Amino acid sequence: MENTKLNILPVPTFGSLGVNFVRRDIEEYETNNKLLDIDNNTLIREDITGSSDYKINVKNNADAIVVQYVKVDGKALVDTQIKAEAGTRLKLVQIFDGSVQTVSRLNATLEDNASLELVLLVLGGNDTVCETVAALDGRCSSFKADIGYTLGSGDNLDINLIADHNGRKTDSQILVNGVLDGNASKTFKGTIDFKNGSAGSKGAEQENVLVLDEKAVNKTVPVILCAEEDVEGSHGATIGRIDDKQAFYMRSRGFDEQKLYELLARARLKQVIGAIGERQTESRIYKALDWGDYDEQE
Amino acid sequence: MNEKTQIQDIDRSLYDFRFDEDEGDFLDNGITPEIISEISDEKNDPDWMREFRQRSLEIYRRTPMVKWGASIEGLDVDNIVTYIRPKTRMNTDWEDVPENIKETFERLGIPQAERESLAGVGAQYDSELVYHNVREEVAQSGVVYTDLESAMHDPKYAEIIKSHFMKLVPPTDHKFAALHGAVWSGGSFVYVPKNVRLDIPLQSYFRLNAKGAGQFEHTLIILEEGSYLHFIEGCSAPKYYEAGLHAGCVELYVGKGASLRYSTIENWSKNMYNLNTKRALVEEGGKIEWVSGSFGSHVSYLYPMSILNGENASAEFTGITFAGEGQDLDTGAKIVHNAPNTSSYMNTKSLSKSGGKSTFRSSVVVNQNAEGSKSSVNCESLMLDSISRSDTVPSIVVKTDKCDVGHEAKIGRISDEAIFYLTSRGLSEEEARALIVRGFADNVSKELPLEYAVEMNNLIGLEMHGSVG
Repeated sequence: MENTKLNILPVPTFGSLGVNFVRRDIEEYETNNKLLDIDNNTLIREDITGSSDYKINVKNNADAIVVQYVKVDGKALVDTQIKAEAGTRLKLVQIFDGSVQTVSRLNATLEDNASLELVLLVLGGNDTVCETVAALDGRCSSFKADIGYTLGSGDNLDINLIADHNGRKTDSQILVNGVLDGNASKTFKGTIDFKNGSAGSKGAEQENVLVLDEKAVNKTVPVILCAEEDVEGSHGATIGRIDDKQAFYMRSRGFDEQKLYELLARARLKQVIGAIGERQTESRIYKALDWGDYDEQE
Repeated sequence: MNEKTQIQDIDRSLYDFRFDEDEGDFLDNGITPEIISEISDEKNDPDWMREFRQRSLEIYRRTPMVKWGASIEGLDVDNIVTYIRPKTRMNTDWEDVPENIKETFERLGIPQAERESLAGVGAQYDSELVYHNVREEVAQSGVVYTDLESAMHDPKYAEIIKSHFMKLVPPTDHKFAALHGAVWSGGSFVYVPKNVRLDIPLQSYFRLNAKGAGQFEHTLIILEEGSYLHFIEGCSAPKYYEAGLHAGCVELYVGKGASLRYSTIENWSKNMYNLNTKRALVEEGGKIEWVSGSFGSHVSYLYPMSILNGENASAEFTGITFAGEGQDLDTGAKIVHNAPNTSSYMNTKSLSKSGGKSTFRSSVVVNQNAEGSKSSVNCESLMLDSISRSDTVPSIVVKTDKCDVGHEAKIGRISDEAIFYLTSRGLSEEEARALIVRGFADNVSKELPLEYAVEMNNLIGLEMHGSVG
């Protein structure tokens, strides 16, 4: 699989923008297989230090949390396949903590009334590629994604997230908050795809990017594909710094500009970290970010 | 159960009449160096243009087809007639235009519009302009509005044409830009001198009458510092079974502090492949406004591009796309912020019905030198049945920290809250829904010149029985 095409935009666009796909050599990765059969309310924490292949089956009305904390020194491929049976709830927390080169592929299939909540946090990393495809096959199935990233000089991130609305009355919500500093580079492609037959479905995505350095490069491609009449889809994006009026107000309250943007950057990430709802992982992220002691701040 | 609102297909009877062509006037099908030479001979091209055409042909041959967007598999470029000899030379008196051509344009209302509300008119029939006229007072102000070939041979403008022609859209831009460079014919040249403001618009109308033919007109507009122009472009063709091709090119140079409004109503027949390229370069403090209505053609690729190259330059794009049965209309806009404190605003609407597909595709690029720039993109789509498609594919690339870029898009149907509000104000449910559907396109139609707004309203006929959605 030399030079595999990854993160392929479902509907390609202008080639000159460089957003249609990425290529990575993932041939050399060695992968460990792991099967998680979840049939009760549980919390599973997985430390991932190398290539891994997860199969997660959620059954029997289970309401579970799975945390994948990925910290690898070299190259790694993390494959995760989720099958959420009818009526189950799964929160999947994926943390990518400053890895050298990581490719993550997440495929989820949701049956009737199943829900998947993805909390994805990228804390730096030379080269992180994340692809998520959530197939909302079942009636009233739902997918919620809270995504956060903080990238500095030398960091590169490419996210491709696709919510396929196949079933009736399905719901997807994608919220992305990120901070770019130094010469960081990030591409976020988010697609809400209303297939024919997905009547009554709703999808919304929003990305807010705080750019802190003139050398940072941000690419945002929020796509809605629609082959069904009775649906509601929306997307939005804000990129840049806060406007002059807000900055003026904050300065008038005694914040200098650097402090102001530090606070804003932290607030954005905190919003995503707060969605994890699992103390030990949140505390670990605080340490990774050098934010001090979690308990004192909370 | 609610009865659905019926949105009528566009009434094309106005456009589908035609007069038979004498095929002896056609150059052979296809694109070969010999045919390109023949076009050069017909037009008495200067040497640089002869070389330019042949070079473009080489680029065309080695450039691959685009790998995104609507399918153009049904287009066999080798079977397209790229040039049709004119039956008449270019006229400045309407009475000198041959009878059937005159009747064609009269049915489309062109001379009437000229008399009533235009500063000048150009009319292209197949490959060549057949009529060009500009009001005397406009000509006296120094405004030049003529066909591009005449300008190219006029010593006063030859150098300007040479230094601007296909510099904004080089033949290397994409395959159909290269094709255009090789076979272009007809089109207009407009020059507005410093500080001259034309309060009434100029209009060019392009009519492709011959079957299985292509139209490759080139529009070149240069606005000097502080000037203003509203330019209107209309396009139509009758329907044939053979595919037709429109691969025109528009290059707009907007000088310092100048302002250009470029309005287009495109209503090609549903056998046309509309692969048009439009681009504007805007200098310091200048402004480009695009108003675009896409109703016709089988397949469209149309993304007017604005390059904001001077400080405080700005761009606005207002567009509406209506895709009906058998249509795949891929439209949108591109904006490049390439100087500090530039601003852009994009506002589009699209409707899809009867199996039609509309795609909104855009790109906003804010370069590193565009500190303090602002951009806002807003697109809305209305699906009128479940056999149609509506996609939005916007891209935003930001390479500086000091900017403010926003994007919003919506796909949906009429909300119950809006209906409830309007019915509470005394409207019946049917009236409320009719009002909302008409209002959906309103922000575009109000940007059009009056006669085009009326035409657009006629194009979108509504029969209000029951509900949308």
